[in-house]
Formats: sequence, C-alpha cells, structure tokens
Amino acid sequence: MDFDPSANRVVGTARIPGGAAPKKAPVPVKIIVAGGFGVGKTTTVGAISEISPLTTEAEMTSESVGIDNPGQATMKTTTTIAMDFGVLTIDQTLKLYIFGTPGQTRFAFMWDDLVKGALGALVVVDTNRIDDCYPAVDYFERAGLPFVVGVNTFNGQMGYSLDEVRWALAVREDVPIISYDARFRGSVRDALLVVLDQALDKAIRMKS
Amino acid sequence: MSYPDPDEPVAPARPGVRPFLQSGPKHSIGGYTPTGEQPPVEPTQTNTLRPFVITAGRTDGGDPDIGMETQVTMVPGAPPSRLSPETRAIVSLLEESPTSIAEISARLRLHLGVTQILIGDLRAAGQVDVQVLENDTPDPETIMRVIRGLRSIS
Repeated sequence: MDFDPSANRVVGTARIPGGAAPKKAPVPVKIIVAGGFGVGKTTTVGAISEISPLTTEAEMTSESVGIDNPGQATMKTTTTIAMDFGVLTIDQTLKLYIFGTPGQTRFAFMWDDLVKGALGALVVVDTNRIDDCYPAVDYFERAGLPFVVGVNTFNGQMGYSLDEVRWALAVREDVPIISYDARFRGSVRDALLVVLDQALDKAIRMKS
Repeated sequence: MSYPDPDEPVAPARPGVRPFLQSGPKHSIGGYTPTGEQPPVEPTQTNTLRPFVITAGRTDGGDPDIGMETQVTMVPGAPPSRLSPETRAIVSLLEESPTSIAEISARLRLHLGVTQILIGDLRAAGQVDVQVLENDTPDPETIMRVIRGLRSIS
C-alpha cells in the first residue's frame, strides 16, 4: 500500500508541522564529563543541561559483567554502558552536548568516538576513590584533549586538598585542578568554563 | 590540613601516585592507546530484542561520519518507502526537529550502535540527511560563542 508522497501531508484539517519549520540543524559541540561510577557525572550533567539527562546505552564487553566496583559509597550496579548526556542550546545555530562517560579502562574502546571533535573534558574526582579517574586522565593526556580535573565536593567535604590531588595525579602544571559542587548549576557552569578556557587556549595555539 | 583517621575503616589510604611512569604506550589503559585502531566491541544483550535482530544481523556501523552528536535531519519530500517500526519511529522523531544520534538513541531506547546503523540505512535510502562538519576540531570563534553562552546562564 502506498501513501501520498507529498511532503506536506494533511491529516484532517490539521497540517502536520515541520514542513515550514527551520530544517537547518545546529552545529553540535561537546564536552566530556568522565569519572568512575557514582562520582557525580550524571549530577553534573543534570545540573547544567536544559533537559533531564538522557541515557543512551552502548554495548559492553562481556568480560566486564559483574566486576563493577562502585566502592563503598553506592550500591550502583550496571550491566550495560549507560551514558548520560545533556544538552544546552547556546543559540539557534549552536548546541552544546555534555556527555557523561564511565572512566574505567574497559570502556576505553568507545572513548575514541567520544573525544573526536570534543572541546575538552572534565574529569570528575571523588577524593575517596581517586584511583578511579586514572584511566581517564591517562587517556586524555595521550589523546591531547584539553581537560580539567574537577574534585566533586559532595557535601562541601573533601578528603584531600587540591594540592594532594595534584600530587596523586601527577598531571602537568597547566592542567587545572579545581573543586566544584556537582549539584549546583553555577558551580558546574564555572567548572565547564575552565574546561572551555583550556579548549580555547589549545584552539588558538593550533591556529597560529 | 586534616587527614581522615587512618583507623577509620571507610577512610581510604593516602592515594597512590598515578602509575603513569611505568605505563609506556604499550601498557597504558589496559593496552589501549588513542590511535583509533581498536574495533568497537559488539553488542551482547539478552534481556530484550537482541540488537542484531533490528539491524538484520549487521553489527558494523560502517559510517565514520556518524558520531554521537551528529545532527540528523529529514529530507523534505523524500519518497515513501517501507520502513521497519524502528526506522519509522526515527523518521517521525525527526519530523519534529533535527536531532542528534545520541538523542534518537535515548528517546527511542535503541542501542547507540543500532541507531548508527539504522541512520546509515535511512541515509542510504535518501530519507534523512546527516550533517557532516567540514572541520573536526573546533575553532576559537565557536569556543568563544560557547563561553559567552555559558556565562549568560545563571
């Protein structure tokens, strides 16, 4: 059975909107929010996104089933790679995507796709489990992606000072290490602005 | 500067230094290096309709143009064609507005890899357009616009 091929389909008297809607897609830009399970990635994404964070599921290697270690902080378990992301419309022609991605080594196969064209990354750190962020830091360093280490202060508490975190991570001096609170929009915005500052530096260096 | 009580069971030991020194390129992140050579691992999920059923057995996305934030738009006046329930759902989602791969995947609860394959099909069939950006790396002007946009939110 064939349908009327007209682009402006008419159902009853109501015209299906869309024919006249602006069909030009905005230019997407993205920032990666990486970190271990339960460090506050989704909270971070949700705080800045104009929509409730959406979840997309990607494939997971079978070897990783059952070895998630969310630490003592949560009872979180997962059987697929759920990636949360949010959207922020900058203007009609520019849309910022914020992707939260698991920072574990075994998910590294998907990071190449993720960082392609990314502006930069925010590596979220829980001072109770600093080790969780090592693979992400290693990866972003090697990939040459501008990144910022953001220590999520949760309830205003940090187990270690930023200097101690820097010592543990042994990142280059020009990698900013900041503290922020993933629950507050202004705090997340400021953290992302630091990421963008790094991204801008790199973009200007690349251009000249 | 105050340290947590080391005898407290929940208090972690002082974090060790990131073992970057002993990790040459060969054994970084489990042998993975950001070269893009490693093929993605394919889906194994058993609790719902298995992804390869929807994609007619294909597990290879195949289209390097299609990333997660890639914008997909309807082709106005595309000829009608027989669509599977999944592709029909994609098309009706796109009728509202251009949408990214990740949003399509999330809203229709399709695996990301499946979504990429189906969009590739729809594109080949002339039903949708996939936005291809000329330059992969963001330019300073674009970043400045994002910065200004972010600063303006409260």
